Amino acid sequence: MNASTPQTLLVVGAGISGVTAALEAAEAGQEVILVESEASVGGRVIRNHHYFPKMCPPTCGMEINIQRLEHNPRVKVMTSTRVTQATRTDSGWQVRLTQAARTINERCTACGECSKVCKATVPDPHNANMNEVSAVRLPHPAAWPAHFILDRDACSEEDLRAIVSACKYNAVDLDATEKEDTVAVSAVIIATGWHPYPVENLDQFGAGKIADVIANVQMERLAAESGPTAGKILRPSNGEAPKSVAFVQCAGSRDVNHLPYCSGICCLASLKQAIYVKEQLPECEVTMYYIDRRAPGRNEDLLTRVAGMEGVKLTKGKVGKVEAESDGSLSLRLEDVEAGRLLTASADLVVLATGMVPHLKDGKLPFELKLDDDGFGLDDPDAKIFIAGVSRRPEDVASSVRDATGAAAKAMVASLSQQRSA
Amino acid sequence: MASQPLISSADFRKELQKRGGDTVSRCYQCATCSSVCQLAPDDAPFPRQQMLHAQWGLADRLAADPAVWLCHQCNDCTERCPRDAKPGDVMQTVRSLAVENLATPRFMGRLVGKASMTWPLLLGLPFVFWVLVLYAINGLQVTLDPEKGLVYDQFVPHWLIYIVFFSTTGAAGLAAMLSGLKFWKLIDNGKRRAGSFISSTISVLWEIAIHKRFDKCGATAGRKWGHFMLVWGFVGAAAASGLIIVAMYIMHEELPLPIMHPFKWVGNIGAVLLVFGGVMVLGNRLQENSQAGKATAFDNYFLGVVLTVIATGVLIEIGRFLFDPGLACWLYIIHLTAVLSLFATFPYSKFAHILYRTLAMVHERMTAKQ
Repeated sequence: MNASTPQTLLVVGAGISGVTAALEAAEAGQEVILVESEASVGGRVIRNHHYFPKMCPPTCGMEINIQRLEHNPRVKVMTSTRVTQATRTDSGWQVRLTQAARTINERCTACGECSKVCKATVPDPHNANMNEVSAVRLPHPAAWPAHFILDRDACSEEDLRAIVSACKYNAVDLDATEKEDTVAVSAVIIATGWHPYPVENLDQFGAGKIADVIANVQMERLAAESGPTAGKILRPSNGEAPKSVAFVQCAGSRDVNHLPYCSGICCLASLKQAIYVKEQLPECEVTMYYIDRRAPGRNEDLLTRVAGMEGVKLTKGKVGKVEAESDGSLSLRLEDVEAGRLLTASADLVVLATGMVPHLKDGKLPFELKLDDDGFGLDDPDAKIFIAGVSRRPEDVASSVRDATGAAAKAMVASLSQQRSA
Repeated sequence: MASQPLISSADFRKELQKRGGDTVSRCYQCATCSSVCQLAPDDAPFPRQQMLHAQWGLADRLAADPAVWLCHQCNDCTERCPRDAKPGDVMQTVRSLAVENLATPRFMGRLVGKASMTWPLLLGLPFVFWVLVLYAINGLQVTLDPEKGLVYDQFVPHWLIYIVFFSTTGAAGLAAMLSGLKFWKLIDNGKRRAGSFISSTISVLWEIAIHKRFDKCGATAGRKWGHFMLVWGFVGAAAASGLIIVAMYIMHEELPLPIMHPFKWVGNIGAVLLVFGGVMVLGNRLQENSQAGKATAFDNYFLGVVLTVIATGVLIEIGRFLFDPGLACWLYIIHLTAVLSLFATFPYSKFAHILYRTLAMVHERMTAKQ
């Protein structure tokens, strides 16, 4: 049994929601354990090129959050760690935390000598698998903790030996094993976030078969300096700049055959990405095909701004089909609802605005959770479980931050009520 | 737009709900349906707009809309609809209401339109009619010919067949013509027609003959052959009926024609097509999670009568040799009942799609940009 006090709060997931919840609670005096299954914090937001509507990079805000984490002794951050068992106790939960074998440990200074000697490569998960990257690397330039990770299965014995001998700091430990720790916590905040809806399910758009049909999360990486094209928006098929880009809204969203709900961010993400395209390729024709343009609150200004840009067209009509033409371009079939005509539109690059699937839907967490029909979590004050961010409902970054702050407050109240009754 | 509505929008919506179009309210107008429809013309897509008009209860717009009839219920729209609003089923229900609202006289349209309740009447009346008339003529007594055995025209004389069916088809034909004219005027709104009606009709009939549009269907491509065989089977049966009259009055041949007579073969090939087509259509309908869409009373009445005509038609032909003459004669009465019901309700049942769909296709051809 760990020495942590019974008033420790467990936050599962270190994306923007989990980090916010952990910091807000810790800065209010609460002891917090923040666990993250990936090797560094930041979750989905760190994969964005810019946030909407302010069009600023997420690394800036994350840097401030990382400073706060580093300077707050009340937060214990455990990366590469999963909750593998959870038992209800009188005072909250007893959880087992399992940390994956750390073949590269905290002695790593991210000097990069190991990458130079390793020949093995893997598809880069940080860049939506759009490029190959060394099997031993920093997860991404802004990774925190700034330690390398090793995809051991991808490496040959020769690679592994070279990596070990290249490390001057003795940080590579091939004999490292999984570590388990059992802790008692007073309340739990679930902030496990989301993954993009799998485009392979969208046969009608040729996603996964046609190179130039990409998902919105891939577009973020194409536009990012740390992305597969060093920030240049290029067609995956031939590496040329597209002359026309089409955004297909509600790709697998608001659809009983896919995700029945609206994720609430895809319209804004496409509008944001239209700006990426126009800033980089002013001549490029951008068209967004939509059912409804959902830009609530202050985000309406973004809609107005993009709709007024030259060479940007918003056409009402859900795209039914995308096909590759013999000349390499893509054709999109839809009804232009306002004109009352069927269109076969053409584009060099098609971006599918896919929605968010809550990780909770996979049911991998060992807690007994209350979920709604779509797999989003519901607060369970009796069980002292609170849900933050996209685990609770589809929402943007700003809403997730507010939401996480609220979850922190609720979890702390739940912890206090336990203290009083004890 | 006509100033006097055919039916109030509230009544229309209520009827739509009742008759299998209840899913229309789920539609949120995304237009996926139109974009995946292989039959919709580029300048007048369907069924997205028709779904909206159905939601609003705009019966007049729908009655005057050729697109309602250009739809062949492929159900590609239903398969892809993100709201499970089943546009294919809604369009079928809209068509059944259009048949009712265009009917001449209206009460006949209502009578057949409410087939879920009136079907015993629609089948019972012709049955009672035949039984009473035959009882008056021959006391329902079967007399066997010493040489040929059972001869149907000795049980039901030809003059009776002529009187009944010429008058029925005449009346139904007249009613269909009046309704067809009404429809033809209603759909003439907006687009200018050009070219000849006759040549457009011939082109359309050829398209129908080879079932060109069914070929474009995705989700229910299998429906083509069942329908194709039924159409050509009926053409064969009708041709055989005409040829029999030729045989009797021009060639002065004696009935029944010998089984190997070429005229008989026209009818028999028709019968084989009808049986296979009927089985296929029935199979499609009975399939679990049928892609053919939801079967309503309107569909079932028509299909039931057609299948009865086919089944009894085949049975009486072989029953003359194989069955007890009494049984064969009762099957003959059921056959005549089904045929009478089919002909008498032609302008009011699903059968009327022959009229309205053909006219809509002719209109489409005449208004298409050259």
